Amino acid sequence: MDIAFQGEHLLPGNIGRVFVILSFGAALLSALSYYFATTSTNKLDNSWLKMGRIAFWANSISILGVGVMLFYVIYNHYFEYHYAWAYTSRSLPVYYIVSGFWNGQEGGFLLWTFWQAVLGNVLIWRAKSWEKPVMAVISFSQVFLASMLLGIEVFGARIGSSPFLLLRNAVEGPIFSRPDYLSFIKDGQGMNPLLQNYWMVIHPPTLFLGLASVVVPFAYAIAGLWQKRYKEWVAPAISYGLFSAMILGTGVIMGSLWAYESLNFGGFWAWDPVENASIFPWLTLVGALHVLIVYKNTGHSYFTATFLVLMSFVLVLYSSFLARSGVLGETSVHAFTDLGMFWHLVIFILVFLALSVYLLVARWKEMPISKKDEDTYSREFWMFVGAIFLGLSCFHLILVTSIPVWNRMFGTKIAPPIDLVGHYNVIQGSFAMVIAILTGFAQFLKYKKTDVTRFFITTGLYLFFAAAITALVVYTSGLYKLHFVFVLVMLGSIYSVLVNGKVLADALKGKLKLAGSAVAHIGFALMLVGSLIAAGTRKVVSNNESGNINIKGFDRGTADAKVGGDVHENIMMYRNEPVKMGPYTVTYIGDSVSVPNYYYKMDYKRYDANGKITEEFILKPNAQINPQMGLVSSPDTKHYLFHDLYTHITAIPEIKDRSAAGSGDEAAHGEENDDKNYEEPIPHEVAVGDTIPYRDGYIVLKSLNKEAKVQNIPLTGDDVAISAKLEVVSHTKTYEADPVYMIKNKTVLDFARKVEDAGLKLRLSKIIPDKNKVEIVVYQQPQNKKPWIVMRALDFPYINFLWSGTIIMIIGFLLSIRRRNSELKTV
Amino acid sequence: MARNTVDKPLMKKSAIFGLIVIAIAIATIITTYSSSSTYGSFSDAKKTTDELHIVGHLDKGKELYYDAAKDANYFSFFVKDNKGEECKVIYTNTKPQDFEKSEQIVLTGRMIGNEFHASTILMKCPSKYTQDKIEVTEFKAKSASI
Repeated sequence: MDIAFQGEHLLPGNIGRVFVILSFGAALLSALSYYFATTSTNKLDNSWLKMGRIAFWANSISILGVGVMLFYVIYNHYFEYHYAWAYTSRSLPVYYIVSGFWNGQEGGFLLWTFWQAVLGNVLIWRAKSWEKPVMAVISFSQVFLASMLLGIEVFGARIGSSPFLLLRNAVEGPIFSRPDYLSFIKDGQGMNPLLQNYWMVIHPPTLFLGLASVVVPFAYAIAGLWQKRYKEWVAPAISYGLFSAMILGTGVIMGSLWAYESLNFGGFWAWDPVENASIFPWLTLVGALHVLIVYKNTGHSYFTATFLVLMSFVLVLYSSFLARSGVLGETSVHAFTDLGMFWHLVIFILVFLALSVYLLVARWKEMPISKKDEDTYSREFWMFVGAIFLGLSCFHLILVTSIPVWNRMFGTKIAPPIDLVGHYNVIQGSFAMVIAILTGFAQFLKYKKTDVTRFFITTGLYLFFAAAITALVVYTSGLYKLHFVFVLVMLGSIYSVLVNGKVLADALKGKLKLAGSAVAHIGFALMLVGSLIAAGTRKVVSNNESGNINIKGFDRGTADAKVGGDVHENIMMYRNEPVKMGPYTVTYIGDSVSVPNYYYKMDYKRYDANGKITEEFILKPNAQINPQMGLVSSPDTKHYLFHDLYTHITAIPEIKDRSAAGSGDEAAHGEENDDKNYEEPIPHEVAVGDTIPYRDGYIVLKSLNKEAKVQNIPLTGDDVAISAKLEVVSHTKTYEADPVYMIKNKTVLDFARKVEDAGLKLRLSKIIPDKNKVEIVVYQQPQNKKPWIVMRALDFPYINFLWSGTIIMIIGFLLSIRRRNSELKTV
Repeated sequence: MARNTVDKPLMKKSAIFGLIVIAIAIATIITTYSSSSTYGSFSDAKKTTDELHIVGHLDKGKELYYDAAKDANYFSFFVKDNKGEECKVIYTNTKPQDFEKSEQIVLTGRMIGNEFHASTILMKCPSKYTQDKIEVTEFKAKSASI
């Protein structure tokens, strides 16, 4: 076993491993120190606190050390490390090396523990009297995250997965018995081309900051229960919770922007289990924030608020379990496979769940739960209802997403609903409708007691206006053709925009501190409006009405309409043959290669009634030929203010075929071989000025040149060379070709000329002096030999509402954070 | 105080609301359960008109038919389900990327005649996240350099 491997760089990995172990040890020490600091009865003894801080700083520095070493390994292309080999390659641009950093699971944990360390340092600096118990919880969570990176064997079981695992230890192969194995590993596997997108540089850090920050309100809730400071923890938890919900929401939407910009499923949300998992904690956290505010203002809903805060963090852990344990198996496209951390992740969840439940039960009698009911016409009651509905929406998502988990727990074999997207859309739409309406009318209510008559008049008035606008929107957008639930969601959203608009207008007049919630609600409602219209009334531009050749044994008439939902959304395009699609005339005009990307130039033209071009643009959807994944295509989108035109490639000829049919140099293949690429040649006897019709246009013999020259063939004595000047008109384009006829040393030769773009080969095969004519042979490429692509074009109306709604919501969160922070200072 | 006397004979509002929430939760579970489908085999598919999920793998020995020139939305292939039964599958869409490399396929759809018409295809490719392929890749590099 002791082979002296050559050329390996083991030092950075060893340093990295030391840092990993150090970060684990330091986190453990910090958690214990903070625990004893909290429980110590001697108020004057600060030694535990000091030790906790120093250990936490040591943990933070170790994490930085791990990150630096991992980056060093990746940046220098040390493919003896599995991580560098599996996720990066030499050809990867430097800015994607950064995203290679968090491509693997280990990098994900590293990012998470890094953010948690940053937040911990912020809390050491700012938490004051809360530092000890809060940091005890956060250090405890750091212990678990650090353990995920350990990758060491304990009693035969591997704990965690190290980012510094060597390739030869990760993968079996006879090659690794050679001491010089490294000289055969020239390059890494490279990054999944779908991840080579600028959104992938910023989406994961944002999402992980969002997920990591949920621990802060959680830690405050635990600390509050533990230290019996039941009321005080709420105010700081609101501030941190707002931050967390804002970042997490931004991270999730960035992910959907990435999907929309670079994936080809034709949308921004696919209800994939991993996507769903990322919004579980967001839903409960937003619910929690509302009831925390209720508690702060009225003293109601204490238990609900605490429970939702605690659950948010448990759900963060659960969603990471879903994504990383391999349990999702065949239900998710982008879940990770199991790295042997299944039970490790389960223990992580159970420990924090048990801690939460224990404290809730142990402190049940002491919790300040109000005995009195809220008034029906009070804001707190309906905010409470809204929080519960956010929880229910999350409950449903968990229920369906976790089907593989139920199967594993109970040994059942339930499959997800067949029309999964429809199922989610309708049920989540129903919850969204209730929530949107609540974000509206709860704003008219006051805390504690409201004037009922006035409330009903204003609510009714706004509802009436909202209904009128909804009717207009639903009619013009065509939303009424869909399930009625979506019309109701639209009504709720528009109502919410109107009411919150009024609240905002009032706030601008005076009570500026109230603006935050109004702005955030408007943003949320606009997001609903945008996603509803864009996803619901998305139009297929590339309707394939003609060009179908029925294939034997497949009769479309009998095919169920439901089967193959998007039949006929794809259109076959031959190069330079314009196709009419909706308002556009689209032509595939060529491709350019920038290895490994192939860009297909699609020319879009719009004509007015007089046939004048009113608009012209080129979209360049691309396809990557990846050695591991084959064809990977990314869309290109034309963005308008009120709609997007989305185009992507769904099939291309195999690249091998293309180079054979495409390049002009085929001497090696020989003429006869080349002729196979064409249909039966058709000879035409023509005189100068005559026209030859063919399938895609016509050819005109302009003139004959009796002194033609062919490169490298010197003419002597009796040799003759004649070229025909031909003008080829194919569709709207004109090309020229000059095939040559030659008699050299009494042998007849002829040099054919190709017009690639028109799929033609032309020969001047005979001179017929008595008729003053020549023979031109026309070779046409059969349709399927011509360069082609299959594309799909979609129109997403009003999608900008979704993106702008997101930005407005973020602004709303920022305003709220400012307000709550200023309250913190004064109280 | 007047309000309290009115409310007294009724249930507490929080109790009513709690019941409503439980009712919605139960309704959600039932809806989800009733709309969930089952994993089956091709012989199960022949017995029913409902759509179902079939887990199997691509028969790489048989023809994969896709000719975009004739119909860009017609793709057919043969799948062997987990019970070993084989069936022709028709997918009225473009051929998914990297289809040949899939090691497991989950189809949803139904039987029409003797052909299974798939509405969605989900495939697991070995090369995406795991490292199974290293031997092949490395062996090539080796033979090329010697």
